[in-house]
Amino acid sequence: MSWITVNRNEPAIDPNAPPILSAALCEKIRSLFPRYDTKRAVLLPALHMVQDGLGHIPWQAMKEIADILEIHPSDVIDTISFYTHFWTHPKGMKVITACRSVSCETMGGVAVLLELKKQLGIGEHETTPDGRFSLVTEECLAGCDHAPCLLINEKLHRCVKVEDVGRILADDNNDRISQKRSDLFDAPAGDSKSKDVSGLESTSDVAEMKASE
Amino acid sequence: MAKIIIDGQEVECRDNIPVLQAAVDAGWDVPHYCYHPGLSIAASCRLCLMEMKMPHPQTKEMGWAPKLMPSCQTPAREGMEVRFATEKVQQNQKNCMEFFLLNHPLDCPVCDQAGECHLQDYSYKFGDPESRMVDQKLKNPKKDIGPNTLLYSDRCVMCTRCVRFTDEVSGTHELGLVNRGSRLEIDVFPGLPLDNPMQGNVVDICPVGCLLDKDFLFQRRVWELSTASSICPGCATGCAIRVDHADDKVYRLKPRYNPGINDWWMCDEGRYGFKYIEDSKRVTSPIVRRGLDATSPEWADIPEIVQFRFEQHVRENGGEKLAAVLSPFMSCEEGWLLIEFMRETAPECTLVMGPVPMEGDDQSFPVGATGDKVKFTILNEKCPNRRGVEMLLEAAGGNQCSFDEFVEKAGGGSFTAAWIVGGYPKEWVSKELNKATGKIDLLVVQDLLQNSLMTSAAFVFPACSWAEREGSFVNAGGQIQPFDWATNPPEGGRRDGQYLYEIAGYAGLYNGERVRKLMAAKIPAFKEIHEPPVRPVHAH
Ligand code: SF4
Ligand code: SF4
Ligand code: FES
Ligand code: FES
Repeated sequence: MSWITVNRNEPAIDPNAPPILSAALCEKIRSLFPRYDTKRAVLLPALHMVQDGLGHIPWQAMKEIADILEIHPSDVIDTISFYTHFWTHPKGMKVITACRSVSCETMGGVAVLLELKKQLGIGEHETTPDGRFSLVTEECLAGCDHAPCLLINEKLHRCVKVEDVGRILADDNNDRISQKRSDLFDAPAGDSKSKDVSGLESTSDVAEMKASE
Repeated sequence: MAKIIIDGQEVECRDNIPVLQAAVDAGWDVPHYCYHPGLSIAASCRLCLMEMKMPHPQTKEMGWAPKLMPSCQTPAREGMEVRFATEKVQQNQKNCMEFFLLNHPLDCPVCDQAGECHLQDYSYKFGDPESRMVDQKLKNPKKDIGPNTLLYSDRCVMCTRCVRFTDEVSGTHELGLVNRGSRLEIDVFPGLPLDNPMQGNVVDICPVGCLLDKDFLFQRRVWELSTASSICPGCATGCAIRVDHADDKVYRLKPRYNPGINDWWMCDEGRYGFKYIEDSKRVTSPIVRRGLDATSPEWADIPEIVQFRFEQHVRENGGEKLAAVLSPFMSCEEGWLLIEFMRETAPECTLVMGPVPMEGDDQSFPVGATGDKVKFTILNEKCPNRRGVEMLLEAAGGNQCSFDEFVEKAGGGSFTAAWIVGGYPKEWVSKELNKATGKIDLLVVQDLLQNSLMTSAAFVFPACSWAEREGSFVNAGGQIQPFDWATNPPEGGRRDGQYLYEIAGYAGLYNGERVRKLMAAKIPAFKEIHEPPVRPVHAH
């Protein structure tokens, strides 16, 4: 791709733009200085504060954080870009996290991811123009036994097939969590075939094992 | 000093230097990317791993550690034993090379680094000829990261040398690591490009073709270049450099390792400051005037004409009417030859130190550092040899005056003959000087670029740029540093040293070293010259 040149001389921010971080936020960042040996060390807490306040960390905010901490803005983008937790552009109402790790990949995760990108019309770490969805990928969502998996906000969708994608996206409740109780710890005494609070039958292996005892 | 054992051979090295450095100094070709002696240690490329003997954590018994250790991060200690030529080490090198090449494009035919690329060299020497990669490579575009430098992201091996350079040596911090894992890239903050007076060094230390110099980009394949060891004439620091040239054209300058003076670095002003060599205003052939009649005689005839006219002039007007203005761009040898000729012709003649160009303030790096922390200084004295010329003047004694006094006296008619040496890369003749020289009958102007003095000069001699000359410069620290010529003077020209040698009455070919010996015999201060140590072949 060396035939394409990205011009990095062009500023990402308008030098005349008014500050984006409120005086209170700046003060809050500064108030952490006494806790650390160096101002640079306040970078991570500062990033959390800014993302919590603004929803994401725009270029302008990076520059302002750098000014407060007396470091170069390249050190700020260096740190931000290491963590997928930090967003440099607005995050959608619902964040879809597709698994890109081994089990999901062998079970067809790639096709699901492609379908997601197609239907949403966005790439990874991007947000739909209407602000409803953002898409990211992560390594292993710890649901390998139900691969391929995806998360919508904190709701895990298991065994997702390409043809399910449309239905899942259209469902308004696609991020509603129906918390299953742990069979080991929460089962009411004497009830060997436990049910979870949502009334659905548990699919847990533990329940099966217990049942067959 | 410590004695360590590498592959069963005893090697002596300074205490606590990295084992890698000790091995490379002793001639081993230990592959390495992230290690650079002028930067902090990252131990991230894993190419330099070796087997090491160390005490067992419980029994304290010495034995070969099961894991390979980074030799760049392990300090050499007395009695230490390491192994480099083993299968385990070689297997690691193969694996690393395969990893570096996973996403690397097959760009060598169009890559400027080809021919001096450590990815090529190491693949050839330590890698496997075949790739097992069947998936599509990750591709990323190149980035224009600053006025002088391009970053071909897809060729990067992520050694982070460049990032550490901007953090630790220039102190300007423009470069950072963006993203993580296989998507990791070197980048700048958009709008804050890599733009500092030392940025060119990142291109030198990048072991592959990722960071490239726009100025040299696609100008010449590196294997067509020849190299001359030289000294940068840009300022009084006197960085040791390499002049890379082909077909009598200078293509680029690169720093040479010169501990204590420029270490591994040079500044951009020096690096790109050679363009005046090809200035269209350069003087290329000698001119001799008698009245209104101007000729361009053969070089062979010139010494006699000059000697004759000067001797005649002294006979008619007296020796104290003679002056010579020496330039801080001359080499010591050239200055000495000119002084020899002048004092021989007229012992009472006046010697003058020409104008010393000063610009702004000294700049120290890392930015903001002071005292011990300073790693590099660009001096505001923008000429290479003020001290050398001063040493010559001191040794010569006799009548001398400052340049301002010279202009004043010449304006008052005190001199009827003068030899004025320029060689400045920029316009330097002041109105006052121009006016003052109107009173001089026998004027010799030896200069690089055409100037207003030449119209009335009896002799005009083309001066060569430093890349075409040889001799020595004395830097701000008083070190006498010899330099070689790289290219030939432009068609019709001649090296200054050569015609001065002949005018001073010597026969044959001018040779810097020989003249330096003659000079040192009369001025003992020139006996001890400073030459940087040769870097081990496998160091980079
Ligand atoms: S960086 Fe080296 S190996 Fe890569 S394309 Fe350039 S010359 Fe070839
Ligand atoms: S650009 Fe060059 S020096 Fe910088 S990390 Fe990449 S390979 Fe190393
Ligand atoms: S690999 Fe996808 S959830 Fe573990
Ligand atoms: S790990 Fe030792 S040189 Fe890179």
